[in-house]
Amino acid sequence: MKKTKLFFLPILLLLTISVSAQVREIKGTVTAAEDGSTLPGVSIRVKGTSTGATSDPNGNYRIQVPNNDATLVFAFIGFSVQEIRVGTQSTIDVKMNNDSRQLEEVVVTTGLGITRQQKSLGYAAQGVKSEDLNINRQPNILNALQGKVAGATISSVGGGPGQGANIRIRGINSIDASASNDPLYVIDGIQIDNSTSTQGSGAGGNVRSVGNRASDINPDDIETINILKGGAATALYGLRGSNGVVIITTKKGKGTGVRTNFTSTYGFENVNKTPAVQTEYTAGILGVYQPIGLGPAWGPTIAEAKALDPTHPDQLFENYKNAFDTGSQLRNTVSVTGGSEAIKFFSSVSQFNHDGMLPFTDYQNLSARLNTDIKISPKITTGVNMGFNNSGGYRFDADRYGESLTYYSGRWDVRDYINEDGTQKWRGTNNPIFGAATNRLRDNVNRYIAGANVGYSPTSWLNFNYRVGVDTYTDNRKRTAPGPRGIPGERVYDNADGFVGEYLTSYRAINSTLLATATKQITKNINGTLRLGYEVYDRSTKDHGVLGSALSIYNDFRLVNAKTLVVSQGINQYRSNGFFGEATFDYKNYLFLTVTGRNDVTSTLSAANRSFFYPSASLSYVFSDNLKLPAFIGQSKLRLSYAQIGKDAAPYSTSSGFSNYTGLPTGTTGLTISSNLGDLNLRPEFTDTYEAGLEMSFLKNRLNFDLTYYYSLSKDQITRAQVSSATGFVTASINAGTIRNKGIELVLGGTPIKTRDFTWDATLNFSANRNKVISLKDGLSEIIYGAPTGGYINSPVTFKIIPGEPYGNIYGSYYLRYYGNSVEDPMRTDKSLPLLIGANGFPISSLTRQKLLGNSQPDWIGGFTNNFTYKRVTLSTLIDARWGFEKFNRLENFNSAFGIADYTANRRSFYTFPGKLANGTDNTKSVWLNQGIGPDGVNYGEGYYRNYHRSLSEPFVQDASWIRLRSASISYSLPSKWLPTKTIRNANISITGNNLLLRTDYYGLDPESISADSGSNVDGAAGMTYPAARTFLFTLNVGF
Amino acid sequence: MHKIYKYSLILITGAALTFQGCSKEYFDELSTNPNQVSEATLPALLSTSTAKAGLNTFTVGNAISPYVQYTAAPVAAAASDIYETINFTGMWDALYFAMADVNELKKQAVKQGSSEYLGVANVLLAYNLMMVNNLWGAAPYSEAFNPANFTPKYDTDQAVYTSTLNLIDEAITELGKTTSIIKLAAASDLIHAGDRTKWLKTAQGLKARLLIKTSKTAAFNASSVLSAVGSSYSSNSDDAGMAKFVLRNNWATVSRNNASLTLGGWLSEQFVDHLNGNTYGLFDPRIKKITDVTVVPGNPNYPQYIGTVNGAGNRINGSFNNTTKDENYISFNSPWTSDTAPLLIMTFAELKFIEAEAALASDPSRAYTAYLAGIRANMDKLLVPASERDAYLADTRVAVGAANLTKDLIFKEKYIATYLNPEAFNDARRYDFKYKDFTLPQNAVLSTFIRRLDYPLGERSKNGASVPAGVPRTTKLWWDQ
Repeated sequence: MKKTKLFFLPILLLLTISVSAQVREIKGTVTAAEDGSTLPGVSIRVKGTSTGATSDPNGNYRIQVPNNDATLVFAFIGFSVQEIRVGTQSTIDVKMNNDSRQLEEVVVTTGLGITRQQKSLGYAAQGVKSEDLNINRQPNILNALQGKVAGATISSVGGGPGQGANIRIRGINSIDASASNDPLYVIDGIQIDNSTSTQGSGAGGNVRSVGNRASDINPDDIETINILKGGAATALYGLRGSNGVVIITTKKGKGTGVRTNFTSTYGFENVNKTPAVQTEYTAGILGVYQPIGLGPAWGPTIAEAKALDPTHPDQLFENYKNAFDTGSQLRNTVSVTGGSEAIKFFSSVSQFNHDGMLPFTDYQNLSARLNTDIKISPKITTGVNMGFNNSGGYRFDADRYGESLTYYSGRWDVRDYINEDGTQKWRGTNNPIFGAATNRLRDNVNRYIAGANVGYSPTSWLNFNYRVGVDTYTDNRKRTAPGPRGIPGERVYDNADGFVGEYLTSYRAINSTLLATATKQITKNINGTLRLGYEVYDRSTKDHGVLGSALSIYNDFRLVNAKTLVVSQGINQYRSNGFFGEATFDYKNYLFLTVTGRNDVTSTLSAANRSFFYPSASLSYVFSDNLKLPAFIGQSKLRLSYAQIGKDAAPYSTSSGFSNYTGLPTGTTGLTISSNLGDLNLRPEFTDTYEAGLEMSFLKNRLNFDLTYYYSLSKDQITRAQVSSATGFVTASINAGTIRNKGIELVLGGTPIKTRDFTWDATLNFSANRNKVISLKDGLSEIIYGAPTGGYINSPVTFKIIPGEPYGNIYGSYYLRYYGNSVEDPMRTDKSLPLLIGANGFPISSLTRQKLLGNSQPDWIGGFTNNFTYKRVTLSTLIDARWGFEKFNRLENFNSAFGIADYTANRRSFYTFPGKLANGTDNTKSVWLNQGIGPDGVNYGEGYYRNYHRSLSEPFVQDASWIRLRSASISYSLPSKWLPTKTIRNANISITGNNLLLRTDYYGLDPESISADSGSNVDGAAGMTYPAARTFLFTLNVGF
Repeated sequence: MHKIYKYSLILITGAALTFQGCSKEYFDELSTNPNQVSEATLPALLSTSTAKAGLNTFTVGNAISPYVQYTAAPVAAAASDIYETINFTGMWDALYFAMADVNELKKQAVKQGSSEYLGVANVLLAYNLMMVNNLWGAAPYSEAFNPANFTPKYDTDQAVYTSTLNLIDEAITELGKTTSIIKLAAASDLIHAGDRTKWLKTAQGLKARLLIKTSKTAAFNASSVLSAVGSSYSSNSDDAGMAKFVLRNNWATVSRNNASLTLGGWLSEQFVDHLNGNTYGLFDPRIKKITDVTVVPGNPNYPQYIGTVNGAGNRINGSFNNTTKDENYISFNSPWTSDTAPLLIMTFAELKFIEAEAALASDPSRAYTAYLAGIRANMDKLLVPASERDAYLADTRVAVGAANLTKDLIFKEKYIATYLNPEAFNDARRYDFKYKDFTLPQNAVLSTFIRRLDYPLGERSKNGASVPAGVPRTTKLWWDQ
């Protein structure tokens, strides 16, 4: 005890002395010299003393100084340190100058409006700034992020206008494939919906190419996007942030006066990759020419056909190319920003029009935004953000289009699709363009996202902030197809007797957060920040739909004209409250400890279980500020964190009952047991995540890296487990199952060359995730979560979750192999072994037996960005790769079946399949690959490709690895002397190419596309998707 | 102090705006699912249960039609033709979900004391369970429909059979009561429109089916079959069928899909030859009412009735590919499979053939009368013109006389009367597939006829420990030995 007292004695003495001097308070505001924005979190110290303070969220500070000789030291990462002698001043406003030697992105919005110094963060956070985000001018913000964030696997469903995309951060987190793995999207503090609605779109693979709701947002409005990946990063967001958080911050008003900015982008696009097709054989079957029929390419050669049919063209039509148009897009955005000391605003209006490559598909988005920040008094600030948009367009089922294309013979031009009387031009099979022209779905979304916040700082160390936000939209859809016109012989494609469907979804989510922040110096070396918050979230979705079939007047698309009506409706409501706290301790500005706790209360669990707590702790050790390191090492830090994240159930998981039976016509109602058995005893699910990271910079930040390792384990998952139908239920909500993800993320950045005129910046993102399903419910040996539509005979694959195996496994039928004396693995096929060849000389299918043939989750993903700036010219390139994964290729399966694939050109030849006979000897039997009777007199029936190749999965579960030049952009800033003075401040022109080069072994279309909607977790099939686009865009940006 | 007031004010304002959510009711009011009702009414469950009985008849009929060679696939070596294992999870689930709904109907009927509803519930439970039992043998029943047991055990093949028979006997008892205060809601009864007496006859008919099924076993008792048949249908107007469709009869949809190139519903050569004279030398006028004659312009072999060989796929017929309509298909022009035709669960004609079979040994003249009545009833059902019907019935190859009636003749005729009906698979197995010229399909993966289905993948993955160990598809069920 004594020692302690003695130890503190000098401090006490010092304090006493200080008090006895001329202590007075200095206050002021810290702003950035560059744009006048206020800087929170700036460290202010009285030089040579322990006295310190930190600027508040509005950049204000107050600090006690001992006398007029005191010198204040202002320090903030990313800015040069400033020292100012106090003198007689009582108000000292400081403009901080950028320090380019420091780490970039030094202030990070960690969510809930909290900005923190990046060096204080004990977890990985990666941000993308406006200029990097929009370099490739992608209309969907998710696509704009591709290749730019480590650990985020971003997939575009296809290249359609307004089409969806999804993000999976650090892998799949749930054994329940019906659960969303989508991260939480927050725009300016408002939690927004990013679901993909398939309402009204009918059946089909990637149903009508509808978009994810975040695609409503105009990327030009965005200032930064920050991705919170791990549990510690998302801790304050609680249960909704359990799959990661995408924090979008839109632009704010800056400086004084008014500035106007106009951006116009025009682009055109083509299919970036088409299937390789054979060009020798024409329509027919068994080699017999048949121009009208379903035999696009098993006929004779072109020369042989021309002998029979002089009207036969000299070459086959390349219908896979002809069927797609050159798409085009145009976006014009006008933004006005400005303000005074007290009021700053940013507003924008944007019009986007996109005509798709698939005929009769399009998308429009009209959006408007107003962001206002008002400084009511030095202590009170308020802000309002509002965004409105109207979006939608005509959508078509790209899988059905692709399927019809494979039936369509190159004998005919697919563009010649319609007769003068408006009926389909029939060539023995349906014309997909006729389908797209007549079978239509249009969505029309009106969306309003708005938020208001008020901040109050009664003292320099205390701040209250309240924010309320609403995301609300209506999604109107109309699906129509004409019935038969009554013309003899007319073919109506999928239009049956005509239909009209009217659908309406109303969505509303209200979200409010109260946050109190207190910052205090605790001891000489320790500063502390305590945050306490309370959050309310209330969401409601209502769907109504009526599908009218069998139209009386064939083209009257009103429900009253339909003979049969089928009604659908649904309501989904959800509420949750969260109480949370965060305490941050900063020791000597190099060691930062953050602990958080959150307690959620949810409407989806019973009263006994609905309230649950979970903590996190993270440590950031900026060892470069503590240890004496060699001069070439710049700011460097070590991060460690642990977090637990709780998760609640999907709405209504605790209740059971009866639903309306849909197998009855209008006028007859019936009830059936609801498919899910609810459980009142459901408990919250918890995920433990551990993360470690090392960030280092070298040579004045000419080189830096950020390496992260993470491990997460989700136990006792709330799942809708499939149960035996003998229970009477499809699924039962239970707590069961464990899934693990672990992986690394590396961000490597640098400036290899920097001279006065020339700069080369480079950033490499690399990440690898490993997933394993540890266990399922007792008694449940596997979960089948998807099977792709189509595929011939036994070729369709099954996606199954099996304990001990990773998510994404693809099981399918396989070639039998010669095992000799070794034992055959019942689960895996050993492709190094020779094929088992039957007595007839052909390989043998396993028929309906299935083995593991691939996995849809990549081994690694990477993105490599290079920016070259020479004077006013900037060249930016982004190379993006996804490697080590497989997908089932339905397109190739069909192209094999119909003799379209390039390799089927070998049909008129003998081939000896390499492999072994059952007795172990090498196969020597030569077989004819074509249909019918071969030169050897043997009847080969429908031939190798139809009887063997197309009938099993193995040839079509293919390596889908790809690497691509995602984008290349060259931009030029016009010299100001060229510009009319006073009217135009700056002007910039750029040309961007997207998807310029693609390297993949995958057959057919771009394997990034998915045969599912963007909300689906079934990502292991591609093929007849909306093709990906190669786009060229021209952008003009003018600032007034 | 002033500051403290100010902070308090801010906090209270904030709290007032946000803390409204704290009360228990705020969360509790969302705990019940607004898309569901917690208790179902008898009519609401009756309409669902009767609709599902009809639809399951189609589903099972569709599955077994290639096995009895009513239909054949347009592609060669299709799994359905060649006895390859097929994952019938969807069909299994449809049968169990139907039974689960009927089970709720039964519970409500007991609760409300309605003998009519209880009787119908027992009939429908038995009917679906019979189909499960006929396809797979052992199946969950005694432990089924219990939300507390996710992995119900499988009762043995014969135990399930006994359960179905007991359900039918209970149904006959309940439907025999005329005193029920709560009567069937006619509009919700999609099979017999609330007619208790027809339900009673249907129960008796199903009992006859259950009993005749044991014809190969020592337990077979022909007189009890005859007693059940005698209490069942007396004309085609008693037939049990379900005709309430969202759009149209499911067979008509198969036919329309085939017409618009989603191929399916191709008639087997076995069945077409059975009718067109190829097998028996006698043209059966019913074929004109079952399918449409095929016309291929410019081909002298047509018009004709021609089926597809099971396992062989589309006929290699010159340049005709599988979209050229050069075979016979299930037709939406047939009274049996038209847009508005009922999905037939059981017919008067079928019961007449059961009667003929059961009486054949003891009372040949009763058997012969029933045999002719069965043919006539089936012809009438198919709207065969009276003159053609009578000509067929008068043909010496049909009107063989009581003394010459054989089991083969009865099965030959019953095979037509059970066209597309699940019961056909039972008959084929009882008869050991001895229909004339009935052969294994091409490319068959089994060396003998198929006798049962493999348990579906869904059960194996969700209730694997309970599913009986792999039984070959050639292993006979208990009554088929």
